[in-house]
Amino acid sequence: MQVASRLPDPKLEQQPKLGLGPILAGVVGLLFLFPAVYLAFGTIDLGGDVWSTVTSRRTLVPLRNSIAVAVAVTALAGTAGTLAAWAVSRTDIPGRRLLKTVLPLPLVIPSFVGASAYLAAFGPGGLVTWIPRPSGFWGSTILLSLLTYPYVYLPVLARLTTTSASLEEAARMLDGNFVNTARNVVWPQIRSTANAGMLLVFLYVLSDFGAVSLMRYDTITRAIFSSRLFDRAASLTLGLVLAILALIVAGIGRRTPPPSHASAGAAGRQPTYTLGRWRLATFSAVWALVGAGFVVPILVFLTWVLRGSTTVGVGYSGLGDDVAFLASPLLNSTVASVVAAVVAVFVVLPVAYVAGRRRHWIGSWAATTVSSVFALPGLVVALAIVFWALQAPGPLASLYQSFPLLILAYVLHFGAQSLTSSQVAVASLPKVFDEAAMTLGADAARRFRTIELPLILPAVLAGGGLVMLSTLKELPATLLLAPIGFQTLATQIWGAAEDGFFAEVGITSLVLIALSWALTWLLVLRNQKG
Amino acid sequence: MRLRIFAALAALALLSAACGGSSDSVTVYSGRTENLIQPILDQFTEETGIAVEVRYGGSTDLALLIDEEGDRTPADVFISQSPGAIGFLAGKGHLQPIAGDTLDLVDAQFRNAAGLWVGMSGRVRVIVYNKDLVDPATLPSSVFDLTQDQYKGQVAIAPANGSFQDFVTAMREIHGDDVTADWLAGMAANDAQAYSNNSSIVQAVGRGEIPMGLVNHYYNFRLTTEEPSLASENFYLPAGDIGSLVIVTGIGILEASDNTDSANRLIEWMLGESAQTFFSQETLEYPLAADVAASDRLPVLETIGLTTYDFDQLGGGLERTKELIDASGLEAP
Repeated sequence: MQVASRLPDPKLEQQPKLGLGPILAGVVGLLFLFPAVYLAFGTIDLGGDVWSTVTSRRTLVPLRNSIAVAVAVTALAGTAGTLAAWAVSRTDIPGRRLLKTVLPLPLVIPSFVGASAYLAAFGPGGLVTWIPRPSGFWGSTILLSLLTYPYVYLPVLARLTTTSASLEEAARMLDGNFVNTARNVVWPQIRSTANAGMLLVFLYVLSDFGAVSLMRYDTITRAIFSSRLFDRAASLTLGLVLAILALIVAGIGRRTPPPSHASAGAAGRQPTYTLGRWRLATFSAVWALVGAGFVVPILVFLTWVLRGSTTVGVGYSGLGDDVAFLASPLLNSTVASVVAAVVAVFVVLPVAYVAGRRRHWIGSWAATTVSSVFALPGLVVALAIVFWALQAPGPLASLYQSFPLLILAYVLHFGAQSLTSSQVAVASLPKVFDEAAMTLGADAARRFRTIELPLILPAVLAGGGLVMLSTLKELPATLLLAPIGFQTLATQIWGAAEDGFFAEVGITSLVLIALSWALTWLLVLRNQKG
Repeated sequence: MRLRIFAALAALALLSAACGGSSDSVTVYSGRTENLIQPILDQFTEETGIAVEVRYGGSTDLALLIDEEGDRTPADVFISQSPGAIGFLAGKGHLQPIAGDTLDLVDAQFRNAAGLWVGMSGRVRVIVYNKDLVDPATLPSSVFDLTQDQYKGQVAIAPANGSFQDFVTAMREIHGDDVTADWLAGMAANDAQAYSNNSSIVQAVGRGEIPMGLVNHYYNFRLTTEEPSLASENFYLPAGDIGSLVIVTGIGILEASDNTDSANRLIEWMLGESAQTFFSQETLEYPLAADVAASDRLPVLETIGLTTYDFDQLGGGLERTKELIDASGLEAP
């Protein structure tokens, strides 16, 4: 398969006229601005002052802490996610098929559960006493890196399955050193994807409350949460500060150049490096990642389940004699996460297309607003939707606390995850195919279906997979906006954790992980090559 | 193939969305979790035929939700884990008075003076300590002693937690703002360690991460049930000290509810014998009505010095409490 270079075509590179695509993208971009506008309204209404809030010492310290931990986690998770994706798709690392499906799973562990598991696992009084108990900046950094590297891993893996092998093979034949090949050939192809994933990591860390609060690290989300009831002006103002920070970061993050080697996917097998003397090191590194991010929490959950089932308790526990109580949450979680993923993919696709393919300014603007929502705590997004839904005219307001509105909440909060992956894939589509097809008289829809869609599908599915995993663990919007009685595995875990029913937390978390494993394999990874 | 999976799931989604509610039903927003209340709600439905639909969530978050919803809230009844959250709603005019004879089921000191909400069950503030690290004889006789040198760096608190904030509000009510501000500053100067909530403090104390902490009494029972080897133990401060404050869980009817008969019946049920026995025996809280006795695993309420205070102040004055906690520097870990 040949490598297509990005030939400048004056006709295609021109700023396109305002067609259906940019209009759609603009509408989607506006939709994603609603949470920020809610925060701005609330701030003005309650007399909050952004400037004096930002410059007060009580805000500056947590703000600085938030940014510090976000930067550190982005670097760590970006490295780990990229190397892991490369190792399982391009090397002869033992157990690669299993690794491939297990590596995305830490993403589904709610951060407060992950943090509790880590606190219970290490340190004096823990399961492993000689490893110090994580806390503070480093505890937060390590834990969040382990929970967020899949934001980089899944898209990069998808990207690697669609990039051409021919250059890599040529480079290897000429040089033979796979480190050089990785740096000079593979990295330029996946750089944009990895950067996009790292932007997601950065924004997620800004939004996180569960991990940092249990790690006792003082961030801006702590300030937002602790003032949310009795000092709403401060809480909303801080939320607005976070939204502005997110818009800036997303705007900058979006300026990364498109892939320098826009290459089409080869249908054949991907190259497999024989690791040789690197085999043991790579093997240990990837399994250490799985061990820390996946095996440790699972072992803690198992411990909790065993401990809980051997003690005769005071107090009511839903765990009781059977786990049938999990059947309906299991179904609800499955349906909600898959529907949210599919809807998110379709909603942000126009933005991905206009920003990535047509390079229209509306596209870049919409991509920035879509991304920024991901940095807001889920509670803020949920309350914004409550506010807008109840402002809406009759028929729309009747959707309040209905399933479609819940899906909208998930899509608003997590749309960024689908967007980043799709946008890079769209941007790297080779135009020569398009031009050839146009010459042959294929219309736009046909070109999209037969040429572009197959090429971007793995990335689109990876993005959808991220939305699915995030929805599976989502809590605040589910608690406030789901139809009444609609319980998910995540809400069950929260309820049990709230009152210290750890056996129930353990068993439900294990079910959640098993479900994620099945869904990720079935819907995202099954058809990937290699 | 993948399309068929999506189609099947979409069908399931429609199915699960199609389930409606019955005509005679009451909608509850509950800050109390399912494990701690669903069994008695089921009994209520069995007894009365009134269906109960429950939205579970954190008390604070649900209070925020109701405030955002205003008169369009679908909720008839709000159940709160702390007086703070339900007091916030009372202060904002979101609650309507409960029927007089229902109110009278609970002693006047455990309910809102305007009759907007009543206490359902009680939790006592305690010092939880690690029995391997701390000799109980060295524990203080008052929460005010915790600012002394011997407790430097030894005490865990949860300044962002509702119960702690309620406790500080009560301290302000009884001892005044100056004494309270001094105590908070003293705790901060004495290197008190901030944790995110009660449960994480009890776990940290049980593991030996920190020798002692200020929490509500029932977390230790819950945690040691599942993990009997946990080295944490409750210490009840002696009679009359603010450190053994009773914090009630509350229930009230939303102003926007037009289903007040069923709502009042539900509250009456919560104050009846079976619900109060459930709180006493199953969740190990202090029952507040129907002459139900507390579990024999708990000290008698009167012996640990029931501190009385004005609940309305407790609800309304939380903004000031928050300011004092902020100013003390306790919160930032």
